[in-house]
Amino acid sequence: MSRFFATGSDSESEESSSGDEITSKAPGTTIKQSLLLSDDEEDTKRVVRSAKDKRFEELTNLIKTIRNAMKIRDMAKCLEEFEQLCRAFLKSKNIVDKEGVPQFYIRLLADLEDYLNQLWEDKEGKKKMNKNNAKALSTLRQKIRKYNRDFETEIASYKENPQESADEEEEKEQEDSGSSSESDDDAGEEVSAKSFLKKKPEGASEASKFLKTAKGSGDESSSSDEDDDDDEDWGGDSEESGSESSDDEEGKGKSLATAFLKKVSSTDKSGMKKAEKRKKQKKERAGELQEGEGVEDGEGPWEKVKGGVPLVKEKPKMFAKGTEINVPVVVKKLNEILQARGKKGTDRAAQIDLLHALAAIAAENNLGQGIMVKIKFNIIASLYDYNPNLAAFMKADMWKKCLDCIDELLDILFEHNNIFIGENIAEDSENLIISDQPFRVRGCVLTLVERMDEEFTKIMQNTDPHSQEYVDNLKDEGRVCGIIDRLLSYLENKGSTEEICRVYLRRIMHTYYKFDYKAHRRSLGLQGETKSEQDQEESEAEDSAIIMDRLCKFIYAKDRTDRIRTCAILCHIYHHALHSRWYQARDLMLMSHLQDNIQHADPPVQILYNRTMVQLGICAFRQGMIKDAHNALLDIQSSGRAKELLGQGLLMRNMQERNAEQEKIEKRRQVPFHMHINLELLECVYLVSAMLLEIPYMAAHEFDARRRMISKQFHHQLRVGERQPLLGPPESMREHVVAASKAMKMGDWRTCHSFIINEKMNSKVWDLFPETQRVREMLVRKIQEESLRTYLFTYSSVYDSISMETLSEMFELEIPTVHSIISKMIINEELMASLDQPTQTVVMHRTEPTSLQNMALQLAEKLGSLVENNERIFDLKQGVYGGYFNRDQKGGYQQKQPYQRDQKGGYQQKQGGYQRGGYRNQNQSNY
Amino acid sequence: KASRWQKNGGKVMFAFSFPLLSQVVLKIIKHYQEEGQGSEVVQGVLLGLVVEDRLEITNCFPFPQHTEDDADFDEVQYQMEMMRSLRHVNIDHLHVGWYQSTYYGSFVSRALLDSQFSYQHAIEESVVLIYDPIKTAQGSLSLKAYRLTPKLMEICKEKDFTPEGLKKASVGFENMFEEVPIVIKNSHLINVLLWELEDKSTVSDKHELLNLSSSNHLEKSLQLLMDRVDDLNQDIVKYNTYSRNLSKQQQQKHQYLQRRQQENAQRQSRGEPPLPEEDISKLFKPPQAPPRMDTLLIAGQINNYCQNVKEFTSQNLGKLFMAEALQGHN
Repeated sequence: MSRFFATGSDSESEESSSGDEITSKAPGTTIKQSLLLSDDEEDTKRVVRSAKDKRFEELTNLIKTIRNAMKIRDMAKCLEEFEQLCRAFLKSKNIVDKEGVPQFYIRLLADLEDYLNQLWEDKEGKKKMNKNNAKALSTLRQKIRKYNRDFETEIASYKENPQESADEEEEKEQEDSGSSSESDDDAGEEVSAKSFLKKKPEGASEASKFLKTAKGSGDESSSSDEDDDDDEDWGGDSEESGSESSDDEEGKGKSLATAFLKKVSSTDKSGMKKAEKRKKQKKERAGELQEGEGVEDGEGPWEKVKGGVPLVKEKPKMFAKGTEINVPVVVKKLNEILQARGKKGTDRAAQIDLLHALAAIAAENNLGQGIMVKIKFNIIASLYDYNPNLAAFMKADMWKKCLDCIDELLDILFEHNNIFIGENIAEDSENLIISDQPFRVRGCVLTLVERMDEEFTKIMQNTDPHSQEYVDNLKDEGRVCGIIDRLLSYLENKGSTEEICRVYLRRIMHTYYKFDYKAHRRSLGLQGETKSEQDQEESEAEDSAIIMDRLCKFIYAKDRTDRIRTCAILCHIYHHALHSRWYQARDLMLMSHLQDNIQHADPPVQILYNRTMVQLGICAFRQGMIKDAHNALLDIQSSGRAKELLGQGLLMRNMQERNAEQEKIEKRRQVPFHMHINLELLECVYLVSAMLLEIPYMAAHEFDARRRMISKQFHHQLRVGERQPLLGPPESMREHVVAASKAMKMGDWRTCHSFIINEKMNSKVWDLFPETQRVREMLVRKIQEESLRTYLFTYSSVYDSISMETLSEMFELEIPTVHSIISKMIINEELMASLDQPTQTVVMHRTEPTSLQNMALQLAEKLGSLVENNERIFDLKQGVYGGYFNRDQKGGYQQKQPYQRDQKGGYQQKQGGYQRGGYRNQNQSNY
Repeated sequence: KASRWQKNGGKVMFAFSFPLLSQVVLKIIKHYQEEGQGSEVVQGVLLGLVVEDRLEITNCFPFPQHTEDDADFDEVQYQMEMMRSLRHVNIDHLHVGWYQSTYYGSFVSRALLDSQFSYQHAIEESVVLIYDPIKTAQGSLSLKAYRLTPKLMEICKEKDFTPEGLKKASVGFENMFEEVPIVIKNSHLINVLLWELEDKSTVSDKHELLNLSSSNHLEKSLQLLMDRVDDLNQDIVKYNTYSRNLSKQQQQKHQYLQRRQQENAQRQSRGEPPLPEEDISKLFKPPQAPPRMDTLLIAGQINNYCQNVKEFTSQNLGKLFMAEALQGHN
């Protein structure tokens, strides 16, 4: 059965591969046909067989499509084609009457009916069918039943002796396909070409020769100076192939179809099957080639050969032996290679190799640096082209190749001062020939390097950060930096300011996130441990800070695009913050006014901004400016999306909100792992600063209705901690902070201290700072001070007076510090007390309102707003009905109002007096 | 029978014709002490009969507390069973209302309104007894009987809680419920016993009345009061937006009509037929009015709290003066 499903074109190539002797020859003929056969030969044949064949050809074509549709179970298509077939059959009624119903037609009808019945039985399959198909199936089944009634006898006879009729049929079919392949049927030709190409392994030498000539002839069309020796080749080959296919031609001379048919019908079935299998394998192999040909299909067989250029790359015969290799020739060749660029079928790897070969030839012949530079440019460009998809990243080895190329290019550029390159140099105004004039080459190194840098980032993004591979890749960063440095020095001499700005920014981007340990050590006055290290230090030209400063200032002064300047500022701030130069960093941030308009920037810049803010916050924390640290981190942390905002990973939560496309874009924005900011450190810094601010505030405003949360996230953590049914010793960083907060609430600074600074937290967080010890000392100090404040807020009501000495002992702070803290609290009216100097005690005033009084105050406030709201309703009513109501009422209301206002005023006055009498003024409180 | 009772102003009395010592009151108190704690509420059924112009409540039984486990518990079934059993032992078994405990006087709620409405709808003489255990614990028995006013009954029947409906019915928070005076009656024998007990009891037993600490109670009341004020505030804001929307729409409607009129006038002058009439109410759908019943209830509750606080503070002030006088005397 499967044999019957074979398509016409299949059966044609089937035939061609059915016997070994034939396989080697038949395609040869076909391709020769297209190549060599003169037109008139074909024409005559067509004329002779027109009347009958034309109709039958139409029918067979339709049958072919039906069989195809049957194979893929496309019932809708089947039905459509069948209807067409019926119509076509009616048209050819005359011929049919003369000749009798053709066997292949009967065969199709019988097969189709069988097939449909089979499908009909197959309940499972029917269920799976889509609605369209199922409908088409039932219609078609009915139709064919009705239709077949007319051919009952024929079908019966066919069924009796299917073999015979099949053979007979096949004859016809082949005859048809033969004719169709002869006529300008593209499909047939393509197949034959395919089979020719895939045949290559068998008759390798022959094929390659053939190909070579073909290629040569391709060259012929482009380069005129190799005519003679190509012609020779060509002639020889045509002879060869001619002899090979001699008997075929003979057959064709008489009756091409019958010559084939005899052989085919004589081959037994098993042979055919085998051949079929073999053919399939070949087909697969040919698939790749076919791809290449597909593109140039329309341009005829010549083009196809040209697409096959990569095949001969083993022995690149760029130029004919005798050719004088000079610049124009090479340029021509180069352009020729480049023309294939971007085309679908071009083998990109081969192209790169070709370019390399060309470069080698150019170097061999000393064609001058101009041409070398040009070729190099193109090599790099085609390396970038290797990945058709922008999203995909380059293979590491490709990228390294690219790196080498750029290095070489820069070498050339450095060595030869007389090369001008630029994007604006037109193709025709290039000067590549060695002469007194300087070389002029079109191209832009900067763009190439930028692209290279981007590819590097992409590679880093796509490598698993915890693998050895990542480390290996990261080692290349040095090379990248080296190249950028070289380019920088090159451009400083030659480039425009714009270009310099761009390359500076690249340099900055590679510098800003690195902590300069050497400068740090130097600033601490430490000497390197070993002599060699010291040498190294001395040999180190400048601190990264100085470099950053120089580069950034240049950009500030010269840059005209906003984006580069913004990036430079942010990097500069980041770098300052990283090296604990808090005031410079802050001033720069404030002066740049970036906070006002950063929301208009593009996402990568925003990510950079977020990173900078975070680094700034961490810097402030290290300096002990808790409030600044908290404010800087608030935006990032409060959203709970720090990871996303810093470009350090995507949140799973958002998966359903974005589609695959968006996800890809977002992935491309990610910051490579080695530039990440430790998120746990970030959160810890934030939570600890929130704790230091919030706990005293909470203690101070325990009964205040208008109390606001300073940090929502911190409160959230506290609540999570409270919800725990069983409180074990803290495990995670958050739990530590929560536990510490609880201790601080009681003014127990020692416990708080032990929760914040211990082995676990050291290894998790604090050791990540460059100046660990200093940060820890600062932190202890802060904890002591804030605990003292909290203690005073919480327990001042139980004291009449308290000695500062006791306090200083309790919190291990010096008396002057305690004194200053308490004084500050008194000044800020946070603590209602006074200092008694002679006895060094704090005397409490006990003016805090009781909880009942507090409550009453709150109630009064609420009632105030209630009254206000109520009045508003009344106003509205007046507005609506104002015209209709009598004035008395209105007047009355208005008269009443002053009274109410008086009352309110009185209340407020009273409250004011109350406050002056010693109550804490909420507005004046610290936060 | 019931109507006559209604006409006479509906006096509720507890009559105990049998030696059941203040049975109902004690039963309610006991019920709370056994089952209710804190802000939890206990409820039960009052039984009795209407005698002339009095409603005599002679007995009661509690609703069983039910947990989530027995969700399929049938309360009605239980009540019927209970009443049948009581009938068997020849006790008054007529359903005349229900009782409920309260927490710092917070009982004016939608739930109470609904159930009291359904009671009063079915059995006209129904009352709800509110028992305040906290006040009782402080030394003075607090029992109050409430009924819905006829006006409110009317509104509830129509389920018309829109601002207009309430305005038409002129129901304010002060005339939602009417309090019915209570007289607790004991049999003579019990009275005699009480007299005797009073003679025997020492002064210290009554000390609770003189407790001077007030802040706790006041704080709680204030807290509750504040919550209610917040709620009321929200409702007012809601109402405010509603009326603003309404007036805006009125204006639009007005403008639209005017424009229409002008156009028609123009058309008339040109001799064209006037524009066809359109349904304006379709064009301008009035915004959904917020239901006002809850606001009313909240206002009633606030009123209740205020009364409570006022009572409490005046009592306490009295106590404080007394204490001061005592101090001075000593």
